[in-house]
Amino acid sequence: MSGSRQRKSDRVGVYICHCGGNISDHVDVEKVRADVERIPGVAVARTNMFMCSDPGQELIIEDLRQGIVDRVVVASCAPSLHEATFRSAIARAGANPYIYEHANIREHVSWVLHGDKATAKAEKLVAAAVGKARLLEPLDPIHVEARRHVTVIGAGIAGMTAARLLADRGLEVVLIEKSPYLGGHAARLDRVAPTGERAADLVSELAEAVLEHAAVTVMTSTRLAGFDGYVGNYDLRVRPVLAGPAEDRNGYVPFHGVVGGNPPELTIKTGAVILATGFRSYRPRRGEYGYGDLAGVVTLPEFIRLFSAAERSGDCLVLDGRTIRSVAMIHCVGSRQIPGIHEEDGDGRLNEYCSRTCCSAVLHAACRIRELFAGTRVHDLYRDIRTYGRGQEELYERASKSGVLFHRFTAEAPPLVEPGDGGETGDFPLRLTVRDGLTFGEEVRMGVDLVVLATGMEAGDIDELVAMMKLPVGTDRFLQEVHPKLAPVETSVAGVFLAGTAQAPMTIGEACNGAAAAAVKAASLLGRGYVELDPFVADVDPALCRGTGDCLQACLADGALEMVEVETEEGAARQARVIAARCLGCGACVAVCPTGAIDLKGWSLKQYEAMVDMIVADIPDNA
Amino acid sequence: MACRDVEGKILILATESCAYPGADSVGQAHSGYPANTYILRVRAPVMFPEHFYLDCFAKGISGIIVMSCGEECPWEGAYKALADRIDRVYRMMREQGLDIRRLRLTAICTVCNRAFLKEVNQMNEIVQELGPPRAQEAGAGDACAEDGAGQGNNQESP
Repeated sequence: MSGSRQRKSDRVGVYICHCGGNISDHVDVEKVRADVERIPGVAVARTNMFMCSDPGQELIIEDLRQGIVDRVVVASCAPSLHEATFRSAIARAGANPYIYEHANIREHVSWVLHGDKATAKAEKLVAAAVGKARLLEPLDPIHVEARRHVTVIGAGIAGMTAARLLADRGLEVVLIEKSPYLGGHAARLDRVAPTGERAADLVSELAEAVLEHAAVTVMTSTRLAGFDGYVGNYDLRVRPVLAGPAEDRNGYVPFHGVVGGNPPELTIKTGAVILATGFRSYRPRRGEYGYGDLAGVVTLPEFIRLFSAAERSGDCLVLDGRTIRSVAMIHCVGSRQIPGIHEEDGDGRLNEYCSRTCCSAVLHAACRIRELFAGTRVHDLYRDIRTYGRGQEELYERASKSGVLFHRFTAEAPPLVEPGDGGETGDFPLRLTVRDGLTFGEEVRMGVDLVVLATGMEAGDIDELVAMMKLPVGTDRFLQEVHPKLAPVETSVAGVFLAGTAQAPMTIGEACNGAAAAAVKAASLLGRGYVELDPFVADVDPALCRGTGDCLQACLADGALEMVEVETEEGAARQARVIAARCLGCGACVAVCPTGAIDLKGWSLKQYEAMVDMIVADIPDNA
Repeated sequence: MACRDVEGKILILATESCAYPGADSVGQAHSGYPANTYILRVRAPVMFPEHFYLDCFAKGISGIIVMSCGEECPWEGAYKALADRIDRVYRMMREQGLDIRRLRLTAICTVCNRAFLKEVNQMNEIVQELGPPRAQEAGAGDACAEDGAGQGNNQESP
């Protein structure tokens, strides 16, 4: 790979994608093809409507099999989307997948430029990729032993589901939960939409399964205190959650007592981590729809708890000793917030997303009230109804048939909740006013005994975990996957997966889907007992290494480089050696080597120099 | 590989975990920016020695923007080593009479569209003003002579 061993390929194949017009509407791909085919080292250049399609991939496979090409450049979309696709195609042709370089002529060219400039820039980027590809060498992935062990953080529905599935696949599982209980938010529900099952049954079934499973170790009142290692070989330090501050552990804690002994901190050696840390229920601001100021204004989770102990007075619902003749339920509280209309939180943030579960949850609650307590009137005040899943639209219809009264408001004119004054709305403790879009903007006033706010989901309080594990967080503050479609439960940290509402608002069913996906991903990652890592690590050319040790000084990883005694033609000498499994592949060593003896496999300095050479070179114009 | 370049080529070294997907995000938003920009995906720009930058200018690259992950760098210590190196490159540029505004170290996150566009447009203005790189440029080492004058952190809060 390094200079003394370098050989340039003169059989580079270039494959240029139209991307169905996404590229070819702005880049003259045929001109690019004709021009780059004349670049030294290019054996063949081809175009295809969709290089990622089977016929597109076949072009590459066929050229490799026939020996026409031995290096591959695909010019298409961002490498994050299809680099793996084309490496895989190369492997299917029986070639080494690392003889591949990607030119991004969609996101970096055709989506930001038009006409001749776009075509010229695309040619330069392809030429640069050819320059690098000529210097690529076959590489072998790094083989690292992996622990067939997964740690699941969070014992809600998603975490328990993932733990059970993994254990059933024969993997050892540790399930960590910071609270003393298994069940998470689901345990705070009663009957769940749209099926009406008891949440307690779902939670109990799963909890029993994980508690009794021989392969699952459940650790409640436990939190993550440290995160170290790499995919297949993570070390997680965990410690018990204590009531008092950490510094008080060995002394008297005022108004608490004395914490008994040093808490045992232990290290879990694990191969992968599933984050099932859940969400936080939105807490309305004081005064938001009267919440906190007016008795009788509650959130939906609070209502669910009250309703689980409902009593009856004739046909009417009785909650906490109060007869509820009329109830108003307001949607989109703390969700779908709009800049300039809604008030930002203390950190200047808005929840601009839809929480997705509240419409069905509210309608389910409304149906339950109407069906069990015909004497209690239900007003449903909504901006839009989003009952999108199986059985949910039927719930909407059921609510309508059961006599729920719907009123539609806009974000600009939200309902006003005030104390009742005994006037036209009667002797109700609360008066609600809404400009109703369903009656052509008529202002409707109603007296109610109870207002239920359909509060949405917010990202959980996991800042410490995010910082410790360097986790990607989206603009909505939920944990972010690598790609919403192509890698929906993977994070940018290899071997760390997402399950459930840590990722986004979702229903229990969706959380279980996510948990199952994460479990499958973790099981397939660790199933063989080893993982293969990209071989993009430092490599020393013994012919050039003079043993200065500068690379050791610059190295950012512990133990990735060492000095060893070697026999050379001139006698015994000291040289640097790379410990591949510990090398981070950052290249800090490359910059400081006085003889250019150390370089990064697959991303070498010489390859970058070749790319720059191609960028500044004139490309022969075939037009 | 001599270069006749009237436009002034700008090389962008973009980290694969932050700035490169940041540039993808700009593309997804269909936000246009100058055509004379060539983005190279890098694992960590700390791998480039001082001479790489000087060689680029000698080859005819008019401006270089190092788009790092900044403080969010996945490799602890890499950003400081990089910043120190860029300072050394500035000193070497001044010794060669190159205007140090031709090199800029900045941080671009995966959703830093505005910061990306600002950096690219600013560098384009500079290379249009300065023309092709040549030793002993007028004004080199004057207005921007302070170490780190070309460094900036543009991380937008997502």
